Amino acid sequence: MTTPSHPHAGDAERAPDAPPPMIEFRNLQVVYDDAIEAVRDVSLQAEKGALVALLGSNGAGKSTMLKAMSGILYAEEGKIDNGSIHLEGADISAFAPDEIVRRGVVHVPEGRRVFPALTVEENLQVGGFTTSASVLRERRDHAFELFPRLAERRDQIAGYMSGGEQQMLAIARGLMSGPRLLALDEPSLGLAPMIIDRIYEVILDLKKKLDLTVLLVEQNAARALEIADYGYILENGRIVLDGPADKLAKNEDVQEFYLGAGQSGAHKSMRDVKHYKRRKRWLS
Amino acid sequence: MRLFADLVASGIAIGAIYGLIAMGFAVIYKATGLANFAQGEMSMIVAYVAWTISTTLTGNVFVVVAGSIVFAVLLGLAVERFIMRPMLGEPIFSTVLVTIGVAVVLRSLITLVWDAYPHALNLGVGRDVVKMASVSLRGAQIASILTLLAVMGAFYLFFRFSKIGVAMRAVAADDRTALLMGVSAARIHAIAWGCSSAIAGIAGVLFALVYDLSPAMFQLGLKSFPASILGGLDSVIGSGFGGILIGVAENLAGGYVGSGLKDVAGFLMIIVILMVQPFGLFGEREIVRV
Ligand SMILES: Nc1ncnc2c1ncn2[C@@H]1O[C@H](COP(=O)(O)OP(=O)(O)OP(=O)(O)O)[C@@H](O)[C@H]1O
Ligand SMILES: [Mg+2]
Repeated sequence: MTTPSHPHAGDAERAPDAPPPMIEFRNLQVVYDDAIEAVRDVSLQAEKGALVALLGSNGAGKSTMLKAMSGILYAEEGKIDNGSIHLEGADISAFAPDEIVRRGVVHVPEGRRVFPALTVEENLQVGGFTTSASVLRERRDHAFELFPRLAERRDQIAGYMSGGEQQMLAIARGLMSGPRLLALDEPSLGLAPMIIDRIYEVILDLKKKLDLTVLLVEQNAARALEIADYGYILENGRIVLDGPADKLAKNEDVQEFYLGAGQSGAHKSMRDVKHYKRRKRWLS
Repeated sequence: MRLFADLVASGIAIGAIYGLIAMGFAVIYKATGLANFAQGEMSMIVAYVAWTISTTLTGNVFVVVAGSIVFAVLLGLAVERFIMRPMLGEPIFSTVLVTIGVAVVLRSLITLVWDAYPHALNLGVGRDVVKMASVSLRGAQIASILTLLAVMGAFYLFFRFSKIGVAMRAVAADDRTALLMGVSAARIHAIAWGCSSAIAGIAGVLFALVYDLSPAMFQLGLKSFPASILGGLDSVIGSGFGGILIGVAENLAGGYVGSGLKDVAGFLMIIVILMVQPFGLFGEREIVRV
């Protein structure tokens, strides 16, 4: 497919006849316990078939955005205070989690979260809860093709597998409902570089073969920007920078603070950069 | 020796009833993380409804049993939908207190709707004594044991092979992630309450067939709770075995030591066993892998 030249473009810059983005966060604001503002006025979008990276350090609000999208904020006393989330133009902000999965949005949570006492195959079965039995079998075979390692261990208890295997299982499980949008929360967390390579390879492959839209949340900006089309950098619940992945990767500030090129050692915030001009377009 | 065999046999029979109620307990605990202290009361109400059907409509055993199961399922679904679901997200402590409230209400319903006298549930079956080798049991006692085995087998298959059963285990392990997979927690909870109430109801009817109805029947719940803890609160099948153990233990204690010990034998047993096996005999240990 042809990617739009500006996959990130806001409404004003979009061609009038362009299809709505696969997912769009509009001025999202999320509050926990009616007190903690975890996400403040964030707008973000991913075009169909794009791989969009959402980057930021601990506590930036990345996971909160995904939880808002998949409808599970209520389980943590969180709620969308303002703004909305749109799937291909349709407002899904108030949908129940199972309805969101049925509509083709799957969120693979941080820390893999495989069901530890269930076998590999049972984990996949739960991933396909919204799917009919015959389609389920097909998708399971496809998952085993994608991750032959899982096929070898299909009857093994998931909790005893290695971190890399668990991450593969978490992704495979997420694919069982046949999503169009796959959101991955820190899939590289705690894994060896070789395993990360393998997982990123699969993500790229999925994007191409299944025409999947991918929302990739990472702290590891360097790795993520290698495979992403577009990136957003989130800090303290706000987008501080966004742009095409290659441009972001070359950006000096990004290099210094997220790609580890800086010499200072101490972690500073983007806000501390004197010459850094905040982009105002999202704040309107 | 005869006494011993008799005590064990009737212990297994009453234990089967405890086991059924305990399994109901475990199903709700597994799916919702909640201890439902109204389990014994639900058994009792269903048994009274069975009695009402038998005295007003028909004494046909199949109709009475089918009618009570339907009532039990509806009761479970109603409690889940109108009482427990609005409590979702509230602290566990308050939610468990609410089940105790439900228990008290159901208990007082017995004297309000029915009366405080014992009644025999007469369906024309189950009262005859069957002699096997040196022990003799009533038909309904044998039926209790067979029912327990059948329900245990059914649950084994349900949790291993059915989509809902596997999803219920997933919810038990990690309900947030189950939500992310599109498993509707509300549906799983409703199914758990419906199943649990149905088996508690069956247990109540069986008990009434053997020992008559009385407003004190809710105490079955007090015997079944230790059975469930013993088997492992989250182990449905283990809870069934736990029931048998409690039944036999209390019968032996009552027969050989004195009736004073009969009622506490179960609790003594949990204390000893939990000291050795903190998750119960069949409870799932948390799988921790770092
Ligand atoms: N359940 C919760 N209740 C209250 N506050 C929360 C909750 N979850 C997150 N927060 C707060 O919201 C902010 C954003 O958290 P979030 O988990 O979204 O960050 P993150 O970008 O995913 O960080 P990390 O990279 O460490 O996963 C943090 O300040 C966090 O303390
Ligand atoms: Mg996070």
